[in-house]
Amino acid sequence: MNAKIQVVLCKCCSEMPKLLNIARLEKLASESGNVLSVMTLDGLCDGKELTQIVAEARAKEIDRAIVLACQKKDVSPALIKAYRRAGVNEYLVGIVNIREEVVLPHTAEPERAQTKAETKLLAAIARSRLLQPLERSSEDMKTRNVVIVGGGVAGQAAAREAAKYGVHTIILEKTGKSITAPGVVMPRARLIGGKGYGGNFELRIKVGESVEDLGAASIVVASGGGWATLKGALAKTVKGALPLYEFYQKLQLDQVPAGTVVFMDTPDPAGKTLKVQDFAWDDTLETAIELKKKRPDTAVFVVFQEMRASGLSELAYKEAAEIGVKFVRYDRSATPKVDPKDPTVLTVKDLSQGEVLKIKLGAMVFASIPASQDNQIIAEALRIPMSPDGGIRRGSIQRGPVSTPKPGVFVCGSALFPKSRDVAAAEGEAAGKMAGEFAARGSIEYGGIVAQVTQEKCSACLTCVRTCPYEAPFIGTATKAEIRVQACQGCGMCVGICPSKAIELLNYTDDQIMTESKTLLGGDF
Amino acid sequence: MTEPRPKIVGFCCERHGMDAVVLAARSGKQFEVSVRLVQVPCTGRVDGMHILRSLEEGADAVFVLGCLEKNCYYDTGSIEGRKRVGYVKQMLSELGLEKERVEMFNAASSNSWVFPEIVAKMVEVVRKFGPVGGEKR
Repeated sequence: MNAKIQVVLCKCCSEMPKLLNIARLEKLASESGNVLSVMTLDGLCDGKELTQIVAEARAKEIDRAIVLACQKKDVSPALIKAYRRAGVNEYLVGIVNIREEVVLPHTAEPERAQTKAETKLLAAIARSRLLQPLERSSEDMKTRNVVIVGGGVAGQAAAREAAKYGVHTIILEKTGKSITAPGVVMPRARLIGGKGYGGNFELRIKVGESVEDLGAASIVVASGGGWATLKGALAKTVKGALPLYEFYQKLQLDQVPAGTVVFMDTPDPAGKTLKVQDFAWDDTLETAIELKKKRPDTAVFVVFQEMRASGLSELAYKEAAEIGVKFVRYDRSATPKVDPKDPTVLTVKDLSQGEVLKIKLGAMVFASIPASQDNQIIAEALRIPMSPDGGIRRGSIQRGPVSTPKPGVFVCGSALFPKSRDVAAAEGEAAGKMAGEFAARGSIEYGGIVAQVTQEKCSACLTCVRTCPYEAPFIGTATKAEIRVQACQGCGMCVGICPSKAIELLNYTDDQIMTESKTLLGGDF
Repeated sequence: MTEPRPKIVGFCCERHGMDAVVLAARSGKQFEVSVRLVQVPCTGRVDGMHILRSLEEGADAVFVLGCLEKNCYYDTGSIEGRKRVGYVKQMLSELGLEKERVEMFNAASSNSWVFPEIVAKMVEVVRKFGPVGGEKR
């Protein structure tokens, strides 16, 4: 094994020399085995000095590098490009975060910080010797289809935005209503199954009574809320209970029943069956104002636990209060009640006034929307997680607010949790952009840091198959586990859990991790 | 004679975990020097063996830092990590070691105060129980 390592020390704009002795670090690096070149630069983020690195790496025929700088994300893209020019594999460039792990947090103890930095350097060199070069490959997408599940506000917005990327949008709408959106609109179509990975999905859809297959590059879930269902104790007792959107339609047609109108957040204030915390407050306020303007004599109440009108809709709150909409705040200790014997009176304790109000009900309107019942089928078909409320759960916020944990599947609108039309449309646009951009790439890149199975050790126990959130491991024809590299995200969950230790994560093998921790424990600081 | 320095190993996920460390450092927080961070792609990658081997090689306490469970980059990664840590804890108590020496933590990348608190907690654990193996070592 003849590793040729280059060590690059970044001074991080003179932050590093203030605390650490650069000369000692350089000496230590040049004295360790396999290190052929040691360079000190003023600032890597500048980019000017990258040419120097390339020249040096070429001259000494370097094949791996260690960079002592700041966070991986901040240095990597430009640096890795530079190293690629010098013929160094990108997975052999190790970045040691010396700035945030040593320089910034240990300013009071320079001596110990110096030892820590030296130990970290040694650990990185030890690990670097064990790394192996990895390659990325790419696979062409079979189609440029962006399939949008649901043709509501969010779905239509998504189709409009995705179409701008020159991809083919297909809206699956479960009802037969007409939709104006670019691309294909399939009425009475539902998603019932699917397999594949981001870029090459094979979906199974039901159109009318026939079942068809549909290829997709990316998917937008815009299934909306469960508009037709209204669960909860209050909805059952009160006769004139309506969801907000239905009331809005009636208001447009002037069919609103006479009498006091109460807008309430949820039909289940005790929160036993409905845990939804975000309500369509923007729309509630708008509707309340419209109602009050149309019929100034009608008493309008808004009963809520927590009001979260987003952005400029806060102004609607003020406007509503000025034209005489009454706001009543309650909390969980004293929830609003309707006596089943007299279901026309709502009893609620106003928190701000401290008095108990008895409101004679004309109509009762709920801002909360239960999650769509189709979510279950969609989540099972695409194998994406659901939230406890029955909505689709979004992935980590680092992947983006409209992404699911699965690459290539995006989610928007009330499929996540109930929200107003404006917010749903905005989310639809975001999801459409993401999905369109994803499909327009035309090919998927994969490989690099992925899991690998040593088939002799595998006992086909299915533990990896059950653990992986991306369905990368599967049992192949040899009745041993195999990894679908296109789907593998390189998290290593299957590696840690494999009882036979048959799976390894490339460049994060047990040996590499434990060598690093061992070397780090060797230093005295 | 000075107090022996605690040796603490932290297995830290590259996503929210590492970001929390970086944010803590960038917002000027100071923490104990003797923390040794090992980066793993996800806390689900951490194996019981990694933790036990660290303890064997001289660590006094080991922690695993991952994403928040509902906000994990790899969806179920930090839940898997927690399971792994729980398994090691059980093993430690069977071995007669204090199970508090191994702990799982979650952090969001926007929480700058979390990481220094975690380090302080682990230092406290080492102060309380002393080095692994006590005086025999």
